[in-house]
Amino acid sequence: MIKVTDLKKDFPIFEREINGKRLTYLDSGATSQKPEVVINEMSNVYSNINANVHRGTYVLSSETTAKYEDVRNKLKDFINAYSSDEIIFTKGCTEGFNFLANSICKDLNPGDEIILSEIEHHANIIPWQMAADKYNLKIKYVNITESFTLDIEHFENLLSSNTKVVSIVGESNMSGMLPDIKKLNSLIREKTNALYIVDGAQLVPHRKIDVQDLGIDFICVSGHKMLGPTGIGVVWGRKELLEKLDPVYGGGDMIEEVFYETATWAPIPHKFEAGTPPYVEAIGLGAAVDYLTKLDMKNVEKHSDELRLYAKNKLENIDRLNIVHTNSNLAGCTFAMSVEGVHSTDVSLMLDTFGVAVRAGHHCVQPFHRKLNLDATFRATGYIYNNEEDFDILSDAIEESIKILT
Amino acid sequence: MSIQEKVDDYKKMLALFPNAQEKYQYLIEQAKNSEDFPEELRIDEFKVNGCQSQVWLVPEEKEDKIFFKSDSDALIAKGLVTLIASIYSDESPSDIANSNIDLMEEFELGVILSPARRNGAFSMLKTIKEVSQKLAD
Repeated sequence: MIKVTDLKKDFPIFEREINGKRLTYLDSGATSQKPEVVINEMSNVYSNINANVHRGTYVLSSETTAKYEDVRNKLKDFINAYSSDEIIFTKGCTEGFNFLANSICKDLNPGDEIILSEIEHHANIIPWQMAADKYNLKIKYVNITESFTLDIEHFENLLSSNTKVVSIVGESNMSGMLPDIKKLNSLIREKTNALYIVDGAQLVPHRKIDVQDLGIDFICVSGHKMLGPTGIGVVWGRKELLEKLDPVYGGGDMIEEVFYETATWAPIPHKFEAGTPPYVEAIGLGAAVDYLTKLDMKNVEKHSDELRLYAKNKLENIDRLNIVHTNSNLAGCTFAMSVEGVHSTDVSLMLDTFGVAVRAGHHCVQPFHRKLNLDATFRATGYIYNNEEDFDILSDAIEESIKILT
Repeated sequence: MSIQEKVDDYKKMLALFPNAQEKYQYLIEQAKNSEDFPEELRIDEFKVNGCQSQVWLVPEEKEDKIFFKSDSDALIAKGLVTLIASIYSDESPSDIANSNIDLMEEFELGVILSPARRNGAFSMLKTIKEVSQKLAD
């Protein structure tokens, strides 16, 4: 069980007041706040052991390298990967998708198909669009139903022997939708030889993930949305697949031998990590993984589910508020909202005066906003340091804001 | 009235409101009392880039002076652009181009006036300066 009032003390930012009010931070979908252990761990690296990894033969470098490489073990356990060599560090989810799209698509044939969904984040659309353009591939989008879930029947119909990649969000940053990954996986295996990639940006911070049990091929993870620092993310992939993929970035640290005309690659994971990696950020992410592991991801998941139900009930009782949120029994604690006749930027500016931080805009899901005829929404997302009180404050502030703005 | 005098007037007015919420309410009032914006001017040519909401600023030259018509689909942004348009209207292009007032600093409107990624006041001022500079040259 997570005791939010105790847990909040681990996060220095909650000592801040905003506009004279207690900070009600409901924008973890954009980035999470950081516990003191993460901040201290990064500061410790810079203060005590900093040296470039994989380079020196001196004490500092071997200590930093050991710490950096150990984060792969932590992440391997966190998502139950087969091997720590399958943990590839990136600077974030977006880079993860760019790497996968570039590396996978160059081996595809013109006319091959990539399946995405209508509610994907731009990070899981644009890299595929760019690659599709370059290699003459086709992108198909799975419909999202009126209750903001994935249309499984449509998904099944789109699958064919032409399908080479399926890349779909694990937890929607707009509707909270949680597609049934195991079910999608078995449909993909039945009908295709496609690679199945999960966008784990929102999923991995909130739910217990076991990549072996899910049966997927790749998952992209964002560090800063799961209590870690910015500038660090992970791509997990099956070892045999990663070994077949070519690197996208060339440079130091990713090579075995270099000649003037040619070079050979280092084994995975280093083959994909050219140049000095963001090792301090990776070590910070390691501290975040320790923190979440100590809380137990089963508890994190339970907390998210309980908070989501409370918030849903609370928000649904507000007059004139439209909520883009799935009706499924299970969903993420994410609510994109709009008020008819009121601009979402106005609402979020007013909410800020109550100390409530929410995001306004299209949340990098512009095509789906367009489909719903919405210019923008404002979005509240809950995380481990949020409780019922935060959503009480939010809903009172929304009601007050609507009064002021109309 | 000079640009500086108008800024001082608004500064005094905004200082009457002690917190962000009341300042925003003042801007909302400015928006509600603003002149109607001609539909035919609601075109991309007059859109201010970089605003989270849609903002239009239309310069008109009358007897060596510039007048700005403005609008936005969001209320607080509309109040802000109304206020900015009135500060720089009825002034000569060279006076505007040469004015060096830091509205961000003067109005203490924190969030909406900061030059952040999609924060529009910065873009509104940039548009006004660019238009005036072109006419002054």
